[in-house]
Amino acid sequence: MKVKLWGTRGSIPSPGPETIRYGGNTSCVGVTLSDGSMLALDAGTGIRSLGLALAAEPARLHILLTHLHLDHIQGLVFFAPAFRAQTEIVIWGPASPEASLRDRIARYISAPLSPVEVRELPCDVSFRHCPQTEWEIGPARIRAASVAHRGPTLGYRIDDGDSSLAYIPDHEPALGADIDALEEDWISGFELARDASMLIHDGQYADAEYPDHVGWGHSSLSHAISFARRTNAERTVLFHHDPMHSDERLDQLGREAQERWTAMGGAVGGIELGAERAEYELAAPTASAVPAS
Amino acid sequence: MTTQKPLELILARNLMSALSTPAFLVDEGGVLVFYNESAGMLLGKRFEELGTVSAEEWGALFGPFDSSGEPIPYDDLPLVVAVRDGRPAHADFEISSVDGTRHRVEVSAFPILTAHGSQGAIAVFWPAGSSNGAGH
Repeated sequence: MKVKLWGTRGSIPSPGPETIRYGGNTSCVGVTLSDGSMLALDAGTGIRSLGLALAAEPARLHILLTHLHLDHIQGLVFFAPAFRAQTEIVIWGPASPEASLRDRIARYISAPLSPVEVRELPCDVSFRHCPQTEWEIGPARIRAASVAHRGPTLGYRIDDGDSSLAYIPDHEPALGADIDALEEDWISGFELARDASMLIHDGQYADAEYPDHVGWGHSSLSHAISFARRTNAERTVLFHHDPMHSDERLDQLGREAQERWTAMGGAVGGIELGAERAEYELAAPTASAVPAS
Repeated sequence: MTTQKPLELILARNLMSALSTPAFLVDEGGVLVFYNESAGMLLGKRFEELGTVSAEEWGALFGPFDSSGEPIPYDDLPLVVAVRDGRPAHADFEISSVDGTRHRVEVSAFPILTAHGSQGAIAVFWPAGSSNGAGH
């Protein structure tokens, strides 16, 4: 399984000279399965670049949305494959008692917010609510589970052969809870991340910033590290960077995360901050995830 | 390995942990999976000491009892009604703490309904005659 980060920023795109290295595009991760099948995790502005990279590949592809906040769907109407008639796109996402996934996404892909309507997209697009049970896409087994965030929000786990990826980009497992002390079955998202080859997890706030953002649905650095240690993820990539965090600030947070990770007994290099365009090839769980670039 | 609790139960427990009103949480099978510190004070036993218990075990430990001291049938308990019927339920009865002290309480229970059906129920205990549930 190959993983590429196309957008690592949270909340709002933040391009500029101060965010060049970690990137300013919002959440999107490309996953290439062992048979070449393609998944996109979330459709923030990063999916535009992913779509351009796929320009020569007419394909069936699956987009797995964690939730419908704008920073996770904004790139949909700029995703080039959606405008190719030969492309089949399956969009998965959380169910809601209020309206279907299609109707909720259509609130964004419709006037006055969008120049095109869902029904006008040339591709063959379908919308599916994620089942509560595991399902298959190509060679991969996919699991979705509700996680602690604002509104209906999912985390995903993708198992392909011996490697596994957990993706929980918007997550506040420590809301009203001490995740260092809680039993594991009472920790939001735990089963998704347990023993994963790679965990991509919310790390939006520095510890000092978190008290002003309790209940906003995101993790502090400490909470993300604790969650990663408790779940025994082999490698953790912190994600959904705060738009106020410059490259220099993220460098500081990355160093802090690594120091604390190793002080807790974690492997050197076991945690890092996600950078746009970073690529990984996930190996079997007995071996370390190997960076491809 | 234990089974991951549904998010709605996790969030309910987190909320209840911060309340000073006695509150109880059962899963979709009616098993008591958590009660908060205030409820522990009422019962004379912390949840961490007791652990999860079925509704039948709960009845043997703490009651409840009607005004004449007779045990109330299991099927009539507000939490059972909330889980079984998927609707709110209210009752006024006595419970017994571990030292035998009887407490008269009002109980309101409501189901935790989600897009995927019922996940359990919450019950809040209110000392009967009190205007402040935290004042026991």
